[in-house]
Amino acid sequence: MIGEPILRLQNIEMSFGNKQVLNGINLEVGKGQIIGYIGPNGAGKSTTVKLMLGLIEGYSGKIEIFGKDIADGDYTYKKRIGYVPETAELYDHLTAAEYLTFTGEMYGLEREEAEKKAYQLMFQFGLEHAFHQRLTSFSKGMRQKVLIISSVLHNPDLLFFDEPLSGLDANSVLVVKEILAKLAEEGKTVFYSSHIMEVVEKISDRIVLLVNGLVVADGSFEELQQQGKEGTLEEIFNQMTGFNQQVEIAERFVEIVKEGRVHE
Amino acid sequence: MNDFKSLRVLDAFRWIFEKFDIDYPIMRKLIQLKLTMDSRRIPAIFNGQKQKKEGNQFIKSLWLYLFYGLLLLTPFLFLRNQYMFASSILFTVLMFITITTMVSDFSAVLLDVRDKNILQPKPVSNRTLNAAKLMHIVIYLALLEGSFVIIPLAVGIYRFGIFYGLIFIVSIVFVSCFVVVITALTYLFILRFFSGEKLKDIINYVQIFLAVAVMVSYQVMAHSFELTQMNLQYTFTWWHVFLPPLWYSAFFEVLLNQDYSINMLILMACGIVIPLLMLRIYIKLMPTFERSLSKLMSDTVRTKGKSHFFEDWTSKILCRNAQERTFYRFASLMIRQEREFKLKAYPQIGFAIVIPFVMFFNEVRIDSLKEAMANENVYPLYFSALMIPTVVHLLKFSGAYKGNWIFRATPISNSKMFYSSTLKAAIVKLFLPTFALLSIVFIAMFSWAIIPDLLIILLVAIMMTLLSYVLLNGEVYPFSNSHELTQDNNTLKVLVAMVVIGAFALVHYLIAMIPYAKLIYMLILIIAVIVGWRLVFGEKKNHGHS
Repeated sequence: MIGEPILRLQNIEMSFGNKQVLNGINLEVGKGQIIGYIGPNGAGKSTTVKLMLGLIEGYSGKIEIFGKDIADGDYTYKKRIGYVPETAELYDHLTAAEYLTFTGEMYGLEREEAEKKAYQLMFQFGLEHAFHQRLTSFSKGMRQKVLIISSVLHNPDLLFFDEPLSGLDANSVLVVKEILAKLAEEGKTVFYSSHIMEVVEKISDRIVLLVNGLVVADGSFEELQQQGKEGTLEEIFNQMTGFNQQVEIAERFVEIVKEGRVHE
Repeated sequence: MNDFKSLRVLDAFRWIFEKFDIDYPIMRKLIQLKLTMDSRRIPAIFNGQKQKKEGNQFIKSLWLYLFYGLLLLTPFLFLRNQYMFASSILFTVLMFITITTMVSDFSAVLLDVRDKNILQPKPVSNRTLNAAKLMHIVIYLALLEGSFVIIPLAVGIYRFGIFYGLIFIVSIVFVSCFVVVITALTYLFILRFFSGEKLKDIINYVQIFLAVAVMVSYQVMAHSFELTQMNLQYTFTWWHVFLPPLWYSAFFEVLLNQDYSINMLILMACGIVIPLLMLRIYIKLMPTFERSLSKLMSDTVRTKGKSHFFEDWTSKILCRNAQERTFYRFASLMIRQEREFKLKAYPQIGFAIVIPFVMFFNEVRIDSLKEAMANENVYPLYFSALMIPTVVHLLKFSGAYKGNWIFRATPISNSKMFYSSTLKAAIVKLFLPTFALLSIVFIAMFSWAIIPDLLIILLVAIMMTLLSYVLLNGEVYPFSNSHELTQDNNTLKVLVAMVVIGAFALVHYLIAMIPYAKLIYMLILIIAVIVGWRLVFGEKKNHGHS
């Protein structure tokens, strides 16, 4: 493990009603790492991230961020965190300028500084023309860019990116990937969850695979390959989640589509 | 999905819809879907704490209308055997209630564009979509009116016979049809001729206008009978043709009293022909309506930011720290820019402006104008504070409520500042302008001497804001619940608020008789506001969520 631990999860369990979502997660993350956090739908990825951000409560176990237990009621650790949520939900009656200035200020930036920085970052994404337009008129990709900007405005040390590339075009994906690498070089820690295995494989220093609320694999891509699993991350993912029925499922699926009467 | 009783009733009218080229099975499914969604309203996950019970809040609030019906309508049936007066009052009240709910609660449904992306790509005609939307409203309206008139109807049948009841039901159908279509047509007209951002603003002004118009016509109606003469004799004047309640009262006069005079027949004809004609026009224009609705989603290209001078200035005066100032500005923007919020809040402003004048002139009718002016009667201004409970309650909601993760993800020391600054923004952005306008007019009518009274009323309004928050919202994060059709009962809130405000007004009235007591009262209010605000929103040392 390199550098000081930024984040430490100890035996985290969480359930919604009767449904146990996390079954004892243990994880330690050091400075300057890019963690690829992967797992099938419903494995508990977003829940873990939301717990660490304090968006949901009621877990058991211990979460330490920047060396402090987040349950002790001290909110200040959030100042050093940036977050891009999985669903691009934002108060979209506001213009990009208004929303970004607002979030920047909430993280303690001065207003002028927040607005200036937001504009410059929008400019880098080629969105300066839309700076004063309402977010309702933004496309999925544009919203995603606004969210990415809002997560880094305050120069955080720890970033939680939940599916940050969704809706972005190929060129923007390249840019964001490059940005992530640069941020890690600067000593920032990036906690990155995604379903796009190619990207995770390429950018992550370390990959954590979550299945049914448990960490089943943890290590660099090379380490995962050495554990006797071969091929791409996608193939490793399929193996480790015990999934090999794609061909049968696809065949049956199309059969059902073809069944029944034909609509004109 | 449930099969709703209201849908089975609707099935009986299937032939009508098919005659108008509407795909009935699809429309039925759409309405079923909407009704199912209405019955499954549960609060957003993030708002945890108390889980409200599932169920359609609107249906649960209907008993209240039953009570209103008993209170507001039934007495008129015991007036002498003079249909014209009794029934026109009855229809006026009925129309008043219908239009106001239509404008404030159902406008959002009528102008809803949220499901456009889901429904538009499916093979459904615009005509059917719009019919479903309209029928969704009609079902609720029918339930509301049904509970409102059921007691008066029973009393009416008992007193005047079954034939009376039949006419009553038929005229209510016509009245409702008239109200729904006239509202829809008004919006259609606006949508047709304006576009983009301007349209969004204009729609809100139209709401204020409608609210004012309804209030004023209600007064005109009451004055068309010379109440002071006590004989309640009805005499026809040409402009009565423009008063819909009289059309329907004429039904009774013609059919029950066999009054076949030309005036009565004209009124009755209006009552039948005009709604049908408008319905015909509306159906013809329906596709245009849906098409124009998409204008509401667009944003005109703007490259310059608006100046926020006013917000900056007021935030510096009203907020103590940077976080609060930030959130104050955010709340101001939400209040100014969120369409759904404005759709529901702006009619309240309309009422707040007009009710004080209505009350004042009612006074004038009893006293003479001169006397009323000499009295420096500022108490009608208390009625403007009636908007506060509704507006405060609306602050809970937002069309983009899911964006509220941002409040939790950011490092905020005192989470109570969210509402504290939101309430301040609501007072400054909504109540103050309204009250300032009223104050100017009242100062012009009386004299500068009423300024202490105005200040007292303002302080009471601030108190009301705080009280409303504690009683109606009492949660941590504003703009965090989904807007919905008819979440709670507005009228009940207003009723409670009326009692509280009435109490304040009474205290004010009594205080005014003692010299210098006003100043002391004002001081007490100032202290009460400050202490109250501290108590509710003050920072406690160790508070944590657990």
